[in-house]
Amino acid sequence: MDKQIIISISREYGSGGHAIAEDLSKRFNIPLYDSNLLEIIATEKNVDKESLKQYDEVPRVRLFTRKVKGQTNSLEENVANMQFEFLKKKADAGESYIVVGRCSEHILKDYPCMVSIFILGSKEAKIKRIMNLFHLSEDDAIDKIERENFRRKMYHNYYCKGKWGDSRNYDFSINDSILGLEATADIIEDYVKKRMELM
Amino acid sequence: MAAQILAVIIFVLMFVLIVTERIPRHFVTLGCGALMLIVVFGICMRSSEAVMKTLNLKTFLDSNFWILTTGEESSTGINWATIIFIFGMMIMVEGMAKAGFFRWLCLGIAKAVKYKVQSIFLTFMIMSFILAMFIDSITVILFLAAVTVELAQLLKFSPVPMIIAEIFCANLGGSATMCGDPPNIIIGTSLNYSFGQFVTNTGLIAVISMVFVVLYFYIVFRKHLKSDLKGEKIKYPEPKEAITSKRSFAVSCVIFGIAVVLLVTHAQTGLTVATIGILVAVLTLITTPRHAVELLKKVDYETLLFFIGLFVVVGGLEQTGILELIAGFIAKICGDKILVMIAIVLWISAIASAFVDNIPFAATMIPVIKTLSSTMGVDLSILAWTLAVGTDIGGSATPIGASANVVGISAAAKSGHLIGWGKYCKYAAPATIIVIGISMAIIYVRYF
Repeated sequence: MDKQIIISISREYGSGGHAIAEDLSKRFNIPLYDSNLLEIIATEKNVDKESLKQYDEVPRVRLFTRKVKGQTNSLEENVANMQFEFLKKKADAGESYIVVGRCSEHILKDYPCMVSIFILGSKEAKIKRIMNLFHLSEDDAIDKIERENFRRKMYHNYYCKGKWGDSRNYDFSINDSILGLEATADIIEDYVKKRMELM
Repeated sequence: MAAQILAVIIFVLMFVLIVTERIPRHFVTLGCGALMLIVVFGICMRSSEAVMKTLNLKTFLDSNFWILTTGEESSTGINWATIIFIFGMMIMVEGMAKAGFFRWLCLGIAKAVKYKVQSIFLTFMIMSFILAMFIDSITVILFLAAVTVELAQLLKFSPVPMIIAEIFCANLGGSATMCGDPPNIIIGTSLNYSFGQFVTNTGLIAVISMVFVVLYFYIVFRKHLKSDLKGEKIKYPEPKEAITSKRSFAVSCVIFGIAVVLLVTHAQTGLTVATIGILVAVLTLITTPRHAVELLKKVDYETLLFFIGLFVVVGGLEQTGILELIAGFIAKICGDKILVMIAIVLWISAIASAFVDNIPFAATMIPVIKTLSSTMGVDLSILAWTLAVGTDIGGSATPIGASANVVGISAAAKSGHLIGWGKYCKYAAPATIIVIGISMAIIYVRYF
């Protein structure tokens, strides 16, 4: 690819946003960074990946943590910062990639090649998707969706000025339950290509 | 009564806001300090005298503030001596860091012990203890932990045990002198104790405890102190490469030496810590004129403002008589059992400091121990050493107890080595209990 492009995909839990990100990664033939980011970081630092993964996209617990001169004992925040630095380093190196979550629409906002997308879904579609994926009852699926979305919101809103899911913080917000994952991916692909023409 | 209630509300609000970190802590203390001045002193007490006493600006005109001649106790309110001293030391330490002093020292010691992991572990603990006697523990750990991580990557060992031990020793070293830890500076300047008095009292406790601490950490960590190198050739970093400018390095070493000499001899020379702070700051700035502005910019003004606001809030508690009530309550619990009172001051200070910032705690407790001393007839100095040891050491027990802990854990985390509450407390909490136990035994045996 001639031009550098970074696609930031934020998503509601159960919306299928991650599946769309995987699809777009294939369409644009660029790497996808999600929780695999920590595997790469763990390999680079020669540490156990599982020890890092337990703090992935987890909000900081204020009561048990402190900040001193910009340093913190919050493992959640340190792991988040590692990912933010990694994403910026890749962006600075001119690499094109798709990143799922990780406050990327805020962290990478100064990069003109970044396109930020928020994918949401209807409640019914999200419940159905989670029930099928994890073989859960409807009630359990609702609980899981609410819990995960709350966690994502808390995590996001700690690091970012804008609120999670607020359409004003993203270039493009779309409900993928209406057209389905593939057609939604088509629209996003088209939008990203048009943005690239303007770059 | 209304003034007392409001003073307590403002104080509690300040503590809660500091702990929750929603607002920068210097804004919190300054805001609460302003509230104390306006609402408590102005509206409730209508006392301009209380305002003046708390702001304590007259102290600058007092010759005793600069050169101690009469041995009078400092007045209450904002402890300007502490603020000026910390400001001066910040500039000196920035100058030393810029010259590469700390990195040179760490790498030099690692090289001297031939990069053997166990030897690095032992020497870094001792270095952490000694450096923290004179320099703030945040700076000590900032550099020590960074070099530890670098050596751990080179020599392939886990830096976690070493960093936990370094943090603990930095906090312990800080308790040994008057300038090692902010609570000690506040206690020393508020109650007019000298560097020498601290060294012969808290210093002795710290040195004896250090022997046990080194043994303890060696025993619990010995299995982890092994390099996983399998005959690979390593290019070790050269200590001299850490020095950014030979001239600045030499100058910063000399200024550091002067600071140590002035502090050690300040009871004899009469120079107060405020004067020493100003002297080392001026010396650093005039010997590095090209970097003077940069050094001044690097001063942590937020911490200095935090101190100013904090002293005003504590001054409010003092002026409204709240701290006397607390002291009366402690005295009532203890009855005439002075040993119980010592144990209460020591353990409560330690436990409180393990969870909340020990600086506001120490500042609040100083008027309390002054009242306890006069009402119970206990030598104030014994209570001062007890408070200093409790607040300094207690902070080592948890990841949030002291600033050095946060900085050390952060340095480890950046290298991918995560130290959670469980891992940290597993090793540091028993060490804290051991040291507090040893301190209590020494205080009982020596002073009673």
